Amino acid sequence: MAKEKLICNVCGAEMNNHAEKIGYEARAGANWESDPDFGGLLEEIHTCPKCGGVEATLAIE
Amino acid sequence: MASTNPLFIPVVLGTPRRGRVSEHVARFIAEDLAARDSVQSEVIDIRDLPLPTDDAGEQAKDPGFSAAAMKADAFVIVAPEYNHGYPGLLKHALDTNLKEYIHKPVGICGVSAGPFGGTRVIENLLPVMRELGLVTIFWDINFSSVQNAFDEKGKLTEEAYVRRTDKFINELIWMAKVLKYGRENVEI
Repeated sequence: MAKEKLICNVCGAEMNNHAEKIGYEARAGANWESDPDFGGLLEEIHTCPKCGGVEATLAIE
Repeated sequence: MASTNPLFIPVVLGTPRRGRVSEHVARFIAEDLAARDSVQSEVIDIRDLPLPTDDAGEQAKDPGFSAAAMKADAFVIVAPEYNHGYPGLLKHALDTNLKEYIHKPVGICGVSAGPFGGTRVIENLLPVMRELGLVTIFWDINFSSVQNAFDEKGKLTEEAYVRRTDKFINELIWMAKVLKYGRENVEI
């Protein structure tokens, strides 16, 4: 089943999810749960084809 | 499908030092970019970015730099070589963005006062570019003996750089168009 498209918070167009990236943070007191398989936060990167806006969201699989 | 919007390709001037000849390089590249059809450019001078040095990433982000990076379709980084490495402030500035870079191409201009034209700084930047999600092109420009390549007003005096820059920018624009299409239309 196709994933729901993220909506651009600038122009309202449907964004394209074109990348996934692992993020790490070693900040004292940071409260985040790493993905057990990747050892970091798995993020999705979305680009808006209308206005060029970019959003990063936590990956939902 | 060709996009009708002009490409925006900023040039990051990667050193804040006084007397930097890299500024001539950055302005020369930005002028060449801006003279092309459907390309806009500007110099992003890391000296002008009000970045705190006691924090990093999102916490140190400059909204203006972030907005320019988000709008960008490609980047040129002008990096002088300092003791075989890249300027620390350049790395600090680049690290304040991440999502803004992903799947965008980058070309690197190495700058040095010696004969190797920043070869080592380019090599040192490549793994950093990759981790930032940028896509490196296979053309570089090596500005060796840079103090002799421009006059005191910043006018290019070594004509060989004209053709070298042309090849470099042609490749960067091609990559910018292809990756822009991919970011906007090709789902992972």
